[in-house]
Amino acid sequence: MGSDLAKIKAEALSDFSKFIGPMKVRTMKAAGLDIIEDKREGASVWDITGKKYIDCQTGSGIMNVGRRNPDIVAALKKAIDTYDIGVFLLCSKPKADLAKKLAEITPGDLKCTIFGVGGGEANDAAIKIARGYTMKKEIIYTEKAYHGHTGFALSAIGRDAYKEPFEPLIPGFKMVPFGDIEAIKKTITDDTAAIILEPIQGEGGINIPPDEYLPAVRRLCDDHEILLILDEIQTGFGRTGRMFASEHWGVVPDIMTVAKSLGGGIYPISATIFKEDIQDFFIPHPFIHLSTFGGSDLGCIVGMAVIDYIQKHNLLDHAEKMGRKFRAGFDALLKDYPSLLLEVRQKGLMMGLQYTNESIGPRMTKKLADRGVIAIYTGNDPSICRLMPSLVITPEEVDFVLDALSGSMKELSGEAGLGKND
Amino acid sequence: MATSQEILEALADYQRQCNENKRLRKMQRDWSKLIHFVAEDTGDKFTMNVVKGEIVSFEVGTNGTPDIIVTSTSENFCDMFWGDLNPSQKYLQGEIRVKASQEDVVRLDAITMIIWPEV
Repeated sequence: MGSDLAKIKAEALSDFSKFIGPMKVRTMKAAGLDIIEDKREGASVWDITGKKYIDCQTGSGIMNVGRRNPDIVAALKKAIDTYDIGVFLLCSKPKADLAKKLAEITPGDLKCTIFGVGGGEANDAAIKIARGYTMKKEIIYTEKAYHGHTGFALSAIGRDAYKEPFEPLIPGFKMVPFGDIEAIKKTITDDTAAIILEPIQGEGGINIPPDEYLPAVRRLCDDHEILLILDEIQTGFGRTGRMFASEHWGVVPDIMTVAKSLGGGIYPISATIFKEDIQDFFIPHPFIHLSTFGGSDLGCIVGMAVIDYIQKHNLLDHAEKMGRKFRAGFDALLKDYPSLLLEVRQKGLMMGLQYTNESIGPRMTKKLADRGVIAIYTGNDPSICRLMPSLVITPEEVDFVLDALSGSMKELSGEAGLGKND
Repeated sequence: MATSQEILEALADYQRQCNENKRLRKMQRDWSKLIHFVAEDTGDKFTMNVVKGEIVSFEVGTNGTPDIIVTSTSENFCDMFWGDLNPSQKYLQGEIRVKASQEDVVRLDAITMIIWPEV
C-alpha cells in the first residue's frame, strides 16, 4: 500500500469514527471490511488501496445493473444538462414516463404510482394508503420482516431490537409467523386494512415461503376485502430471475413497493405502485401524501434507464443462469462441509447460506473479505450469510466467489468453536 | 492458563471500571443481563449480573438462566477483563464464542470500546 493511500484511508476511517460513528468503524474493522470504496465497476468495487472485491452485499440489492453502470451514468449525465430535481408539486414528463413504465412492467393491474426517495418511505406510503382507502386500522406483518426504519414501516418490522428503544410505535400492527397462513386467518378482524409481506424475506435471512403461501394470502385478502402489500424492495428488478419475485407464484398485490435497484446505485428513488381502484382515495385529497425529493426528475430518468438496461440485456435470464452456476457450487460445499453449511436458500441471485452455528456468519464474513469478497451475515441472524451480487456478475466472478467460500470454509473447519451448541 | 483467582481479580477491576464510568453507565442504562463466562481450558465458570448497566455482582459458578454465554480460555478472559485484547477480533477468530443476540454482542464490544478506546 502506498503511504499516501494508507494515510488517506486512515484519516477517512478516523473522521468517520469521530463524526459518524465509532462502533461502525470498529465493527467493520473487526470484520475485515474497513474498506474505503474507490473505483466501482460491474460486480466489483476497489478499496482505496487498490484491493479488488466482488461485492455480494450491494447495499442489500441496490446494484442489480452493476456498479456505476456506464449506460445509467450516461443517462444521468445527459439528464443533468436539462433537468434538476424538479418541483414536487408540478407535473413532469420524466415522472409520467416512469410511472407509465412501472404500470407496464409490474404484474396484473397495478397502475398508479406515488414516488419517494427510499424503501421505508415507499412502505410508509403503502400503509397510509391502505388505512386511508379501507378506513380500517389494523396491519398484519410477519416475524423477521424488514420494511425500513421510518414510522409506519418501522412498526411493521419483525425484529424487536429495531423497535424497542423508540416505543410506543404506531398502534394497530399485529405480527404473525412468516409462511403460516393459519396464523394470518386467526389474526384477521373486521378492522384489518392490509397484510404487508416481502415475497422472500431478505434481512430476515433469505426466507422463501412454501409455494402455496402467497396465493393463499391473496385469496384470504380477497375473501376479507383486505389489501395485500408486497414489498419488492430487495426482490424486485430481476433479483430472483423474474422482474418481480411475486411472479414466481403468480400473485398480484394491491400495492407493490419498490426502491433500491430502481435507482441503479446512482440516484435514490422509490415507488409505491397500486391498483386503479385505490386511486379513488386520492381524488378528494390529491396532496395528502407528498415528498419533496420523491420521484425527482433526475431519479425518474435513472429509473427508466435501469429498466431499459435490464430488458435490453436480458438480465432476468442471466440472473437465472448465474443462479444455477452458484447452486452447483453450493451443492459441492454442502457435501464437503456439512459441519459448517446446513442449507442453501435461493431464488435466482437472491441467495442465503444457512450455517450450522451463529458464530460462523461473522467469521466467514472476515475470511471472505480477506479473500476479496464482500458478503455479510444478516442482521436478524448471524448464522445466515446473504449473497446478493449484481445481476451482471460474470461466470468467472461466480467461480471466484465460490473459490473464496470454499477456501474460507476449509480454513474455518480447522478452527475451534464450530459445534452446534457453542 | 490463568487461575480462577486471577480471573476474579480481573473481573473485579472490570466491574470497577464499568461502574465508575458515567458515560458507559448512561449508555447502558437500558441493559440488564445475566452473563455466564465459561473457561473451557480450566473448567472455571463465572456469573455476572448486570442491572440497568451496572455490574451488581459476579461470582464463581453458573447461576440462573443466562441471557448471554461467553466461552473462551482462562487467559483470554483475563486479557479481556484487563483490557489487553480486542474481543471483537478474538470473536471473529473463533477464540471467544458468544451465545447471544447480535445486539448483545455489540453491547459487550461497546463496553470495551468505551473503557479502553485504544484496544
